Amino acid sequence: MRDFSYLRATSTDAARQAAALPGAMLLAGGTTLIDLAKCGVAEPDTLVDITHLKGLDRIAVDERGATIGALARMGHVADHADIKSRFPAISEALWQAASAQIRNMATIGGNLMQRTRCPYFRDPANFAACNKRVSGSGCSAIGGVTRGHAVLGTSEACIAMYPGDLATALVAFDATVHLGERKLLVDDFFLLPGTTPDREHAIEPGEMITAIAIPGSAAARRSTYLKIRDRQSYEFAAASAAVGIEFEADGRTIRDLRVALGGVATKPWRVRAVEDALKGKVLEPETVRAASLLAVEGAVDHGANHYKIELAPRVVARAILKLGETA
Amino acid sequence: MRQAQPDMNQVLPEVDEGRPDLGIVQPGLERADIAFAVNGAAVSVNVPPLRRLSQVLRDELRLTGTKVGCDAGDCGACTVLVDGDPVCACLMPAASAAGASVTTVEGLANGLLSALQASFLAHGAAQCGICTPALLVAATALLDTTPRPTEIEVQDALGGILCRCTGYRKIIAAVMDASSQVASLDFRLPQSGHAIGASPVRLDGVPKVTGAEKFGGDSFPADALAVLVVRSPHYHAGFAFGDLDGWARKTPGIVGVFTAADIPGKNCFGVIGPFADQPALAEGFARLRGEAVALVAGEREAIFDLDLSDFPIRWTELPHVLQPSEAQAEGAALIHRNRPSNLLTSGFVERGDPEAALAGAAVTVTGAIDTSYVEHAYIEPEAGHAYMDADTLVVVACTQAPYMDRDDTAKVLGLAVDKVRIVPTATGGGFGSKLDVSLQPLIGLVALKTGRPAALAYTRNESMMSTTKRHPAEMKATIGADADGHVTGMIFSGDFNTGAYASWGPTVANRVPVHASGPYATPNYRAEGRAIHTHGPISGAFRGFGVPQATIMQETLYDELAGKLGIDRLDFRVKNCLRNGSETVTGQKLESGVGIAECLEALRPHWARAEADANAFNNANGDKKRGVGVASCWYGCGNTSLPNPSTIRVGIAADGTVILHQGAVDIGQGSNTVIAQICADALGLPLERFRLKSADTAISPDAGKTSASRQTFVTGKAAEKAGRALREKILRFANVSEKATLQLDGAAIVIREGEAARRIDLASLDMDAEGFVFRAEETYDPPTLPLDAKGQGKPYAVYGYGAQIAELEVDLKLGTVKLIKITAAHDVGKAINPLLAEGQIEGGIAQGIGMALMEEYIPGRTENLHDYLIPTIGDVPPIETILVEVPDPEGPFGAKGLGEHVLIPTAPAILNAIRHATGVLVTKVPATPTRIRAGIREKDGIREKEARA
Repeated sequence: MRDFSYLRATSTDAARQAAALPGAMLLAGGTTLIDLAKCGVAEPDTLVDITHLKGLDRIAVDERGATIGALARMGHVADHADIKSRFPAISEALWQAASAQIRNMATIGGNLMQRTRCPYFRDPANFAACNKRVSGSGCSAIGGVTRGHAVLGTSEACIAMYPGDLATALVAFDATVHLGERKLLVDDFFLLPGTTPDREHAIEPGEMITAIAIPGSAAARRSTYLKIRDRQSYEFAAASAAVGIEFEADGRTIRDLRVALGGVATKPWRVRAVEDALKGKVLEPETVRAASLLAVEGAVDHGANHYKIELAPRVVARAILKLGETA
Repeated sequence: MRQAQPDMNQVLPEVDEGRPDLGIVQPGLERADIAFAVNGAAVSVNVPPLRRLSQVLRDELRLTGTKVGCDAGDCGACTVLVDGDPVCACLMPAASAAGASVTTVEGLANGLLSALQASFLAHGAAQCGICTPALLVAATALLDTTPRPTEIEVQDALGGILCRCTGYRKIIAAVMDASSQVASLDFRLPQSGHAIGASPVRLDGVPKVTGAEKFGGDSFPADALAVLVVRSPHYHAGFAFGDLDGWARKTPGIVGVFTAADIPGKNCFGVIGPFADQPALAEGFARLRGEAVALVAGEREAIFDLDLSDFPIRWTELPHVLQPSEAQAEGAALIHRNRPSNLLTSGFVERGDPEAALAGAAVTVTGAIDTSYVEHAYIEPEAGHAYMDADTLVVVACTQAPYMDRDDTAKVLGLAVDKVRIVPTATGGGFGSKLDVSLQPLIGLVALKTGRPAALAYTRNESMMSTTKRHPAEMKATIGADADGHVTGMIFSGDFNTGAYASWGPTVANRVPVHASGPYATPNYRAEGRAIHTHGPISGAFRGFGVPQATIMQETLYDELAGKLGIDRLDFRVKNCLRNGSETVTGQKLESGVGIAECLEALRPHWARAEADANAFNNANGDKKRGVGVASCWYGCGNTSLPNPSTIRVGIAADGTVILHQGAVDIGQGSNTVIAQICADALGLPLERFRLKSADTAISPDAGKTSASRQTFVTGKAAEKAGRALREKILRFANVSEKATLQLDGAAIVIREGEAARRIDLASLDMDAEGFVFRAEETYDPPTLPLDAKGQGKPYAVYGYGAQIAELEVDLKLGTVKLIKITAAHDVGKAINPLLAEGQIEGGIAQGIGMALMEEYIPGRTENLHDYLIPTIGDVPPIETILVEVPDPEGPFGAKGLGEHVLIPTAPAILNAIRHATGVLVTKVPATPTRIRAGIREKDGIREKEARA
């Protein structure tokens, strides 16, 4: 990693101005950026340190929802009593996202900016071709070792999997990201690769994430995050599901359902087809399993990642049924 | 803890609202004064603002207790507290620490041990010690808020810190019990004559918990040149250098560039002389990705993250082969010209008439198993420094084999062996890979050429790329039994991908056929092991030398045989296991000390309980099924049919101290303690009077390499002999009989026989050049016999035995495996130190779990500790250890080796348990959820087809 120029921003506006300049990047918890700089993926000329900005780490929760400052640490959000009670899926996703040390460092805003773990993306020294790094250079993953690559939302230009856990839970509950005044749904903040996989986020130069907001709901209150992985701690998902459910007064009929998938798609993957198929239905294992298959409609594998197509619906069904058990 | 207020007058460029003045920022190595508090003291450093905090702590503040294992947040070895919260110091820019209060391991206690540190030592929670500082720091933060944490709380708090030695269970216990540990520590030093069988706190333990221990990268001289290794990015490529001198001249801070042309000696090293084939720096072409081709030496700040993009080297990629089948294909290019068919070597054992036996067997089973490259993943990447001491080159580095390092370094550098001195540092895990030289000839070359000290710590990436792995194996076997359930014959063949250079490939090829029968009487037998070159990573020594792979083949077939015969799987093993008087597949008659039956019998009650538990669970559950599996091991201790002597020197100094030259490198397994315990009881003096002089080729005699489970047995035997010889000398001096007892009383030794006592003032005796008034030096070399053309002979003097039960739960829908418990019975002959023996068992099991379930090194794809998965604290279930003691008359006090045995049964026991749970045998390890699901799908498909038919 080379040494960069370093600026410490003393206000949000100053940070935005500095970040708008060519070659500048924002530095918060550093867990992604320092690592990517070591790999040679991120090569900023200037880093603008925003960790000391005041007031951006607040967590406010009431019955209408939660607003979480961009600089709130993952660990603080995960452990926040009101987040745990009103948005258990958010807390669980954060807990399972990273080790305790990383949770203590990484910020919510930085987490949304996390890049893919695609090993070809992360290894510019050995793989010149990567459309995510250099538009039009090609994709080394297609035809390579694809066990960890996406089966949903892929394009001919890119099959890199979105690795995050938090955003999967956020899209399930219609969270918005605040870029200063501009607000957009987290679902819209993450972009499909299409022909421009180098552009991952709908953020413009000079913009900065200031907060996320999650509307409160009965489904969010009764929610969970189920993550399947190859070892117990600190590993990315083979497949994961953020699920929230609200029952009718009978306690069996599904009034509201939220389902999003992680570990299988190129972005956090809301699966409304499953939600729509089950809303109004009585929660029965067979019904849930059948509907969960809709989660991977349109999935395309690249060999070694084929298993995700079988796994993902099972994770969805398992998560929904788990919430039903706690009725 | 009281914390001083840091000086907040640090100079950092700021941008504020009115003035986003980017003009003040200079590109490149701009520095800033950054002030913060460390362990309560205010400090200020002048560094580039984005320098990693870990590096600032280590290099600027010389607080080397904070370790660097990956520089990526994957291993957690750099964990420190920032304002009370554990963070990875390797991911924190120094500037982010400005104004903060940082706590490192050095700040956990002020001169005394904290209760947690004491608890770690009392529980044996530190082995090599490289991850220990991070664990202590993170656990301290947990205990601050949660003095009596649950197991789950401990696992979450420590989940981001990898440990490769301990298997984590003793760490969990140490943290959970810390609240009941007083802040002082009973070192449990045994009385004279009672050291064997006691579990004193490891004699080298205290520095491991205070952060004072010096590993390979912890004592670099301030004026040392930094060395950067230029490596091949290709599996196979030719290369030519451009104007190296010109490049060095125009690159600031570069002192020299060195290539193969600069090597003064023979540019060829290797652990087994006749097979030596590896250049220290490649000549003209590279045979593997990561091979060293040039060295750049320069001032530390210049080398740090030097941009090598304009380094004058031109690569010409050449065709490569990564699979043994490709390497052996007709017409395949030879990787080494003198090795036809790319066959490095093969090992062969044949006894009786296996074809006839299988033809006549009542039942036969046949199978095939493939295994993957496994990375050692010690948390300390290779590190060390070298300097010239007059005309002697001194290399201070982590290692498992100082004398072998000395010989190979001397050979490459054209020095006489007595002009190279190897001083091992503490070694942060080895497991076989630190037997081969790595950076020793490289830093040696720079020191020799420049006359300046030279220092190098491998990055995680280059450690993983360039050092050895466990051999991937492709194995086939057939085993037959008679109607009574006695094994009558077995045929085994295995191809082992040995990579680009020989390393320990010949040892694997030879050990496998000797051990592939398992510890079972197999009257008719043929086994062949072949080590085949490819352009893949070099496969070498890794805990078990191929035997763990072969045992998966044999033990999974044993389950199938038992099933076909309708015999309980444990009973089948008891029926067939070796016993005193049995002959092995090499025709070696084992007269005594065969403890496998005792191990299996010790498991019997656990087996019955585990099977009952699994059945009860399975009757009540559909999507999740439990399974129980068992597997055994045997393993010959020491070199296969080759000499491997150890020499121990012990003496008494004039001040009454017993000086033990203990040259068996302690890489965490505990030889410093165990060898001393053996020597103490042989000598008849208490352990507390012992002072150790550890391995150093200029000081301590050669105790051989730390490998092949040989140190407790071979060096232990030498220590026993030396202790007895020293005792004999003292007794003869005092003219008393064997029955006399010794006692040290200050600087006097008191010798008692019956009522008579004689007191000898040690200071009154003549002292030799090393300060001894009494001394003895003894060598032991295990008696073995060469193997003949059919592999018949006595390859080992001593074998150790063991058996393990794995209990687990498989989620049939998801393919995931949850381990519930491992029960391990190991015949150690005599447990010299039961706590350390347990530590070996738990650590070996953790590595076996990794091999069974998750570890698969893919060159170019998994060269870091995040894409390459090793077990975390949540992956190791409770382990119950049963130490079985069937003494071997050859071993010291009856002791046998243990270090490798412990890993061998784990993976096959797990695979057998998965099959018990699911009906599916996974034939390619690791048995990832994907492979388990594929097996279940295939089985269900077959069942559906059968149902339709």
